[in-house]
Amino acid sequence: MKPILLQGHERSITQIKYNREGDLLFTVAKDTVANVWYSVNGERLGTYNGHTGAVWCVDCDWDTKNVLTGSADNSCRLWDCETGKQLAMLNTSSAVRTCGFDFSGNIIMFSTDKQMGYQCYLNYFDLRDPQQIEDNQPYLTVPCAESKITSAVWGPLGEFVIAGHENGEINQFSAKSGEILKKVKEHSKQINDIQTSVDLTMVITASKDCSSKLFDSTTLDHIKTFKTERPVNSAAISPIMDHVVMGGGQEAMEVTTTSTRIGKFEARFFHAAYEEEFGRVKGHFGPINCVAFHPDGKSYSSGGEDGYTRIHYFDPQYFDFELEA
Amino acid sequence: MNMHDTEDMPPDVDYDEDEPSFSDPEDFVDDIDDEELLGDLLREKPQEADGIDSVIVVDNVPQVGPERLEKLKNVIHKIFSKFGKITNEFYPEGPDGSTKGYIFLEYGAPTQALDAVKNADGYKLDKQHTFRVNVFTDFDKYMNICDEWETPEKQPFKDFGNMRHWMEDPDCRDQYSVIYESGERTAIFNNDPKDPIVAEERARWTETYVRWSPKGTYLATFHQRGIALWGGEKFKQIQRFSHQGVSLIDFSPCERYVVTFSPLMDTKEDPQAIIIWDILTGQKKRGFHCESSAHWPIFKWSHDGKFFARMTQDTLSIYETPSMGLLDKKSLKISGIKDFSWSPGDNIIAFWVPEDKDIPARVTLMQLPSRQEIRVRNLFNVVDCKLHWQRQGDYLCVKVDRTPKGTQGVVTNFEIFRMREKQVPVDVVEMKGDPESKNAFAWEPNGSKFAVLHGESPRINASFYHVKNNGKIELIKMFDKQQANSIFWSPQGQFMVLAGLRSMNGALAFVDTSDCTMMNIAEHYMASDVEWDPTGRYVVTSVSWWSHKVDNAYWLWTFQGRLLQKNNKDRFCQLLWRPRPPTLLPLDAIKAIKKDLKKYSKIFEQKDRLSQSKASKELVDKRRSMMEDYRRYREAALLQHQEQKAARLELRGGVDTDELDSNIDDWEEETIEFFINEEIIPLGE
Repeated sequence: MKPILLQGHERSITQIKYNREGDLLFTVAKDTVANVWYSVNGERLGTYNGHTGAVWCVDCDWDTKNVLTGSADNSCRLWDCETGKQLAMLNTSSAVRTCGFDFSGNIIMFSTDKQMGYQCYLNYFDLRDPQQIEDNQPYLTVPCAESKITSAVWGPLGEFVIAGHENGEINQFSAKSGEILKKVKEHSKQINDIQTSVDLTMVITASKDCSSKLFDSTTLDHIKTFKTERPVNSAAISPIMDHVVMGGGQEAMEVTTTSTRIGKFEARFFHAAYEEEFGRVKGHFGPINCVAFHPDGKSYSSGGEDGYTRIHYFDPQYFDFELEA
Repeated sequence: MNMHDTEDMPPDVDYDEDEPSFSDPEDFVDDIDDEELLGDLLREKPQEADGIDSVIVVDNVPQVGPERLEKLKNVIHKIFSKFGKITNEFYPEGPDGSTKGYIFLEYGAPTQALDAVKNADGYKLDKQHTFRVNVFTDFDKYMNICDEWETPEKQPFKDFGNMRHWMEDPDCRDQYSVIYESGERTAIFNNDPKDPIVAEERARWTETYVRWSPKGTYLATFHQRGIALWGGEKFKQIQRFSHQGVSLIDFSPCERYVVTFSPLMDTKEDPQAIIIWDILTGQKKRGFHCESSAHWPIFKWSHDGKFFARMTQDTLSIYETPSMGLLDKKSLKISGIKDFSWSPGDNIIAFWVPEDKDIPARVTLMQLPSRQEIRVRNLFNVVDCKLHWQRQGDYLCVKVDRTPKGTQGVVTNFEIFRMREKQVPVDVVEMKGDPESKNAFAWEPNGSKFAVLHGESPRINASFYHVKNNGKIELIKMFDKQQANSIFWSPQGQFMVLAGLRSMNGALAFVDTSDCTMMNIAEHYMASDVEWDPTGRYVVTSVSWWSHKVDNAYWLWTFQGRLLQKNNKDRFCQLLWRPRPPTLLPLDAIKAIKKDLKKYSKIFEQKDRLSQSKASKELVDKRRSMMEDYRRYREAALLQHQEQKAARLELRGGVDTDELDSNIDDWEEETIEFFINEEIIPLGE
């Protein structure tokens, strides 16, 4: 498959996300820029300008009306998707690491880093109450004293947020009370990414301990494990096949010690039930920081440390492929 | 010698009265004895001469009458005063007035007496009289030997089971040791082409690394206090050798002895830097000094373990076993000796000496134990020499770097000594092309070919030569522009791997030297080691954590270069194949098996196919059960999902978003034109 190359960032990509219908792909990077592209041909629709620091996270609501971004400039900003206009800016005391709209699109959550004497907090705002935005007063703030949150997603019905921590723990934080409903520790090192399946029943985690794990979103039961020899930066679940895709690499410092052959950094495909790797896609010039499946499962995208985002449409053989069983 | 007890000193008028008294309390009893306080001084206290220790007895002295006694005494004096001042002498006389034939001499100190014994014993005065000299005290000692024979305590026989157990594996799997988790874990695997099978795995089995004995019987592990040997089916501890701070070991080829080195333990009186141990009894046989361990092994063993030798400044010391004493009781003085090496097939040592004024440099082959020089080769304008023996000792190659007269550059020759031919003829191969500094040379085991890597990167060439019986050395083939810095022959010969290790990023070339073809070219990125199994069927390339901190793994290849396995091991450090003892089959039995090889191949192939299909069946079954479990989970999850549909609709204001095509009615059709290509076609004339 010949990938579509999106060149719109000058520094490494931090997160990419499709909207619910899949026609748009949002990419954010360390260069303070947030872009949105047509996924069908890679044409750029526009840019959301305003952040003054690296943008760590991005999310789009279910109706593709609003866009949420979080940045190292200590702000979480709300944008109008179509026009690019900044609708709200919520200032924080430290960098915003992860953010997201809930299932209804009415409530947003974001977490702030443990930095400069400030703790890690998980903040909830209700967008239906403009006072909260104006006063920059979340209706709920949950402190995380022990290990900071490194990645988080909403649960299936907006009742809780599933957060991955620096120490490998996964916690469910209630969106009403902020208490921890469930917790598990299956990973031994930092959780780099958490993504949900398209029906929100499962979540997949990507960890620095070189493995990726599949959990049930409600019970946090550990269902599957996918092992590699490199730290995993991001993982995603295919909407239509029993596949997962993982992207990773090594620490930026160690990059020069592994093969410097061009395009060697690979996205790896595992069979979700057999936990076996069945394919790899080369092409990135640096570690892959984020992967995402198109909601229709016919393509996937990856954003890398090299600043490129690549959209891959699968060949027909991909859908026919089966491991002997 | 008495010491005064401490007395109270008369008070000093100028002293402050408040000073504490330093005298012992009234009832203090001195409990330190003189030995503790002044032991070393007491030892040197002059002893009253009790005479016996400095007296020697000389036997076989001519029996002379009183008229010649004076002359005899003069002669004895002349001979024996060399060792010290003779303070006393006694010439016992027989009834007839002539001397009895033995005399007593006393020296000033016992050391002089010992000296006399050492040097005068065996002195031939004349044809009939050879002196026998002994210390007087020895007579006492030998006379007082207890008449009762006490049988030494019987050591219970420690049965370690079948020490060759691994050789009896019905599928002929070789074993190898793996150190991983940066040294925390050591495991022994049976090599199976599908997947390695664990034979034994232990945490902290060794503190640094491991070594196999040359025939594979023992596994040696290193510890702060010494080394331990393990073996048998369950790898029980066979023997322990206490050598504090041991850092290097070496086995004798026969596996009877092990040599350990520790930089810590050396003292002038008791050389402990290098110790040679008897493996079966665990006894320390002998200790040696050692200044530096730079060229380990310091002691080089002959192939049969009968001799071991070491080189020091201008000296070659050869020792024999089991006495551990110098051969012929003295070392060989070889002025300027630079390097030596035993033949792996016979008790012959090759050594070389550089140029000395008018005498050219030369390589000498010396037969042992006769010390006869069977071949000497003079070399001119030599810069350096390296000795390379062929595995069976059939050939010796001396790589000579020379600066020919009148030139500046360095040229390399290979002097090939044909050991099996009368008078050891020498043929010379000149290396053409660029002068090289570091390159590799390796003989084919079991064969008469050798391979050389020469040239500077990136233009490194691999040349293959065949030493033919007719006196010629033929260049079979040269491969140029190779990414290689090391040569690894299969232990059975014919096949080899050219590898570019470490800085050359792990380039591998598998070569069949019977027709010098490249069977396969591959790469194991950042490979640091290449190890052939003892049978020559498999090759392991590995990336050791000791040289590279990422991607630590070992890969298994067939001898043809087909990759079979990639085994990632967390912080993998070292893999060593377990050596095999030499085959017990006689030559004609081997010939018979080779003749019937087709018959055996059929049986083995059938076995392989059976095991492969069994493996795939196992895999298929495993997958099937995993899929069933997964399906069951998904069904339950989807059921729950369905139950939540109402809640979902409410959250999204009644819009059903469960499927992408849930709201087909809402879809708009839009036609978009994309610019694909522009083609300019000029309208013809």
